[in-house]
Amino acid sequence: MTGATLSSPKTGARAFSLAPWLGVAPFFVFAVLFLIAPTFSLLVGAFQTPQGDFTLDNLWRLGQPSIRNSYLLSLEVSAASSLLGGLFGLVLAFAAVRGGLPAWVRPTLMTFSGVASNFAGVPLAFAFVSTLGRMGLVTLLLDRGLGFNLYQHGFNLFTFWGLTITYLYFQIPLMTLVVAPALDGMKKEWGEAAESLGASRLQFWTLIGLPILGPSLIGAMLLLFANAFGAIATAYSLTGPSLNIVPILMFAQIRGDVLHDPNLGFALAFGMFAITGLSNLAYLALRARSERWMR
Amino acid sequence: MKQGSTGAWVAMGLGVLYFLLPLIATFEFSLRLRRGEYSFDAYRSALGSGEFQSAFLYSATLAIVTIVIAIVIVVPTAYWIQFKLSWLRGVVEYITLLPLVIPAIVLVFGYIKLFNTESWLPLTGSAFGSDVLLTLGYVGLGLPYMYRSVEAGMRALDVKTLTEAAQIQGAGIGTVLFRVILPNLRGSLLSGAFLTFAIVIGDFTYASLLNRPTFGPYLQRVGAARAYEPAALAIMAFAITWGCMGVIQIVGQGGRASRARS
Amino acid sequence: MSKSAYALLGTVALGAMMSCAAPAFADDMDALVAAAKKEGQLTIIAVPHDWCGYGAMIDEFKAKYGLTLNELNPDGGSGDEIEAIKANKGNKGPQAPDVIDVGLSFGPSAKAEGLLAPYKVSTWASIPNEAKDADGYWYGDYYGVLALAVNSDIVKKAPTKWADLKDPMYKGAVALSGDPRTSNQATMAVYAAGLATGEADAAKAAKVGLDTFATLNKAGNFVPVTGSAATLAQGTTPMVVLWDYNAMAARDNLKGNPKVDVVVPSDSVIAGVYVQAISAYAPHPNAAKLWMEYLYSDGGQIGWLKGYCHPIRFNDLAAKKLVPAELLAKLPPAENYAKAKFPTLDEQKAAKGVVAAQWDAIVGATVAK
Repeated sequence: MTGATLSSPKTGARAFSLAPWLGVAPFFVFAVLFLIAPTFSLLVGAFQTPQGDFTLDNLWRLGQPSIRNSYLLSLEVSAASSLLGGLFGLVLAFAAVRGGLPAWVRPTLMTFSGVASNFAGVPLAFAFVSTLGRMGLVTLLLDRGLGFNLYQHGFNLFTFWGLTITYLYFQIPLMTLVVAPALDGMKKEWGEAAESLGASRLQFWTLIGLPILGPSLIGAMLLLFANAFGAIATAYSLTGPSLNIVPILMFAQIRGDVLHDPNLGFALAFGMFAITGLSNLAYLALRARSERWMR
Repeated sequence: MKQGSTGAWVAMGLGVLYFLLPLIATFEFSLRLRRGEYSFDAYRSALGSGEFQSAFLYSATLAIVTIVIAIVIVVPTAYWIQFKLSWLRGVVEYITLLPLVIPAIVLVFGYIKLFNTESWLPLTGSAFGSDVLLTLGYVGLGLPYMYRSVEAGMRALDVKTLTEAAQIQGAGIGTVLFRVILPNLRGSLLSGAFLTFAIVIGDFTYASLLNRPTFGPYLQRVGAARAYEPAALAIMAFAITWGCMGVIQIVGQGGRASRARS
Repeated sequence: MSKSAYALLGTVALGAMMSCAAPAFADDMDALVAAAKKEGQLTIIAVPHDWCGYGAMIDEFKAKYGLTLNELNPDGGSGDEIEAIKANKGNKGPQAPDVIDVGLSFGPSAKAEGLLAPYKVSTWASIPNEAKDADGYWYGDYYGVLALAVNSDIVKKAPTKWADLKDPMYKGAVALSGDPRTSNQATMAVYAAGLATGEADAAKAAKVGLDTFATLNKAGNFVPVTGSAATLAQGTTPMVVLWDYNAMAARDNLKGNPKVDVVVPSDSVIAGVYVQAISAYAPHPNAAKLWMEYLYSDGGQIGWLKGYCHPIRFNDLAAKKLVPAELLAKLPPAENYAKAKFPTLDEQKAAKGVVAAQWDAIVGATVAK
């Protein structure tokens, strides 16, 4: 593919330069009305006192050790579940798209992933409690069937890793669904061409496959990260009283029965908003680098 | 094409185990309503109120409309960003991530403030207006997933060459988008549709605060403060949502054959 | 005149006065009902059907007055209700709550923010003074005490005191119904555990309660899962601290599978009061007032009692012998309620502040990664 473009007649070119803006206009109108404007009240609220005066106090309070630790914990849980979810999701998508399995496997996996990606909150927490909790199905089976007591060996569902394992239930399917279309685009001809030039499978993947897939993979994992970062219902039901993640703190301030400082809640959300912005920038930088391989 | 590699089978097998065990545990618990024996009493009790069908159909209809609107908004955007406006990519992607980090309750209160009966567009004042507001809210909720999916698929297409080739043959921009690009995005559109469908069926906050009778509030009403019925409902909702996605899959695949260009 | 003549005159006069008063009241009520019917609907928020028998009361209200009831966010907490009023300030649609039912401490704060409209129901005088705002902005509706819902299939010997919970036989058994940083039920549980040791000062009792839970956590007695009817039945949380009415509703819903005992610990009985209020921005103010009249009528109050909540006019109703005996029999023994401590607003604030701020540091810090 060369850089030369076929020239269009003059009127065509001018008509076309307006078209991109018209094409993205619906998105931006929608975004302003339904995403940006409602967020605005949150952003403004983060800088206000309950009486409505301007203050940086809420943001300042974000620096408290308990809130700082909360952000750290949230980052850790999100990172763990998005990296692991990304890895396992990719493996599953790969198996379905290019693993040579029977034809019904892929559509079944995709539809199942669709449902599983949204199976979160109380039902998911309960499902894992009844599987891997102290009185869970698997726990009891292993104990009575094989004499292996998970909990005596140190496993505990109601911890950081237990929460991460639970989060994977919706992270893995999400990754699978988002990445499968990208895997579709990996044309067989490229693999064949590389082989005919003497490349090994490893070389193919490291020099061609991953660089091409790279941006989509990282973008998908960023989606997983944001997804985990904002997830609250599952965490609240599973480890509510014991793990101190940011959405629960926010919940406490905006929605709870005990504390009620919505402005602090908005500040917490603002912090999440900023962190997602930073990770998006990191993603853009990474992608710009990996796209150099394409040129 | 080689027979399924062992690696693929092992991966699938482990995946199946991980995903099915929690569902089996939930199902087993839902059968325990009657003391001492397994029975479907929890299912009968949960379905007893008779609103299951109407609430589910209501949500499913909203979901389909949401998917259509989302596709109409996302596909042209992804196309132009890829083709001409690549410097806007970061901004657009960040915007699509917003519904994930802004709590749902903040967004829906934002909608109420913007579109209440005293505003420039009083959507909350009527049932139809509230439905419109709810649907557009759902489009926003599904946006991160629909956009990523479509973008991943479109990236794999050689958009520039396809467009130019179509233009040489005299195609206008509409034809390019709907008869050339769209059919090649089948996989992405299906992925995005599945994710959006699940989100709409599973939503509770938006519908509950906008006072619309969808599936989420129904589930909550029937299952609150009970033990066995919520498990039964979770299994039923899972099965039925999966079934609907199967239908979407068949409809999506059964359309006219894509003019694949490899 | 003779004594008996005076008595007769007095009775006749009283009878005359009452018959004059009755029609006047009936007229007011009729006018209110007509105005409410004209509005046609009422919007309530955060009212689960299984909470205090609200389900049956909603049905009765709808049948009696023919109004449509919009039920927003049955899952919501007190904070949600306040935020919903604020968000719907300009909205007259069915998404704007007309009335709220919130924890005691939210009443004064909502009044201070100008979110409430005052109204004194016809039975105002029989509501205890400590449980209502003098100007009529908010008024107590019902109360319950903290209890333990015990799965007696799993826990053979139910505890009788907060102090019993430390016993090694309750390993992996004690759970709260929510996060103490966000849920009133959970916070009060910590406070109650502290009061049980004899500490009277609110903030100090809260701290002692936190230490108690930290001990329970280290010993493995505390299960850090949000307890619910489902986890109670499933076995992961065989004992859950709930308001007595919620515990009894859970017991009834489980229908003996498993068998559930509801125990009010004898060493510290904490009562929790909820309050009703009308939103200052209510789109249907007359329907709201009618709802309040219904809730505070004898029938409405008994409705709450059927849901195992003690209505705020309980003493008044008991004195007038209006409480059905079979209903009284279903409730836990009255001695427990006699000992109940009703924390004042200041005490609640102090306790909540300590628990919410220090739960992570004292209890949560020991959770392994």
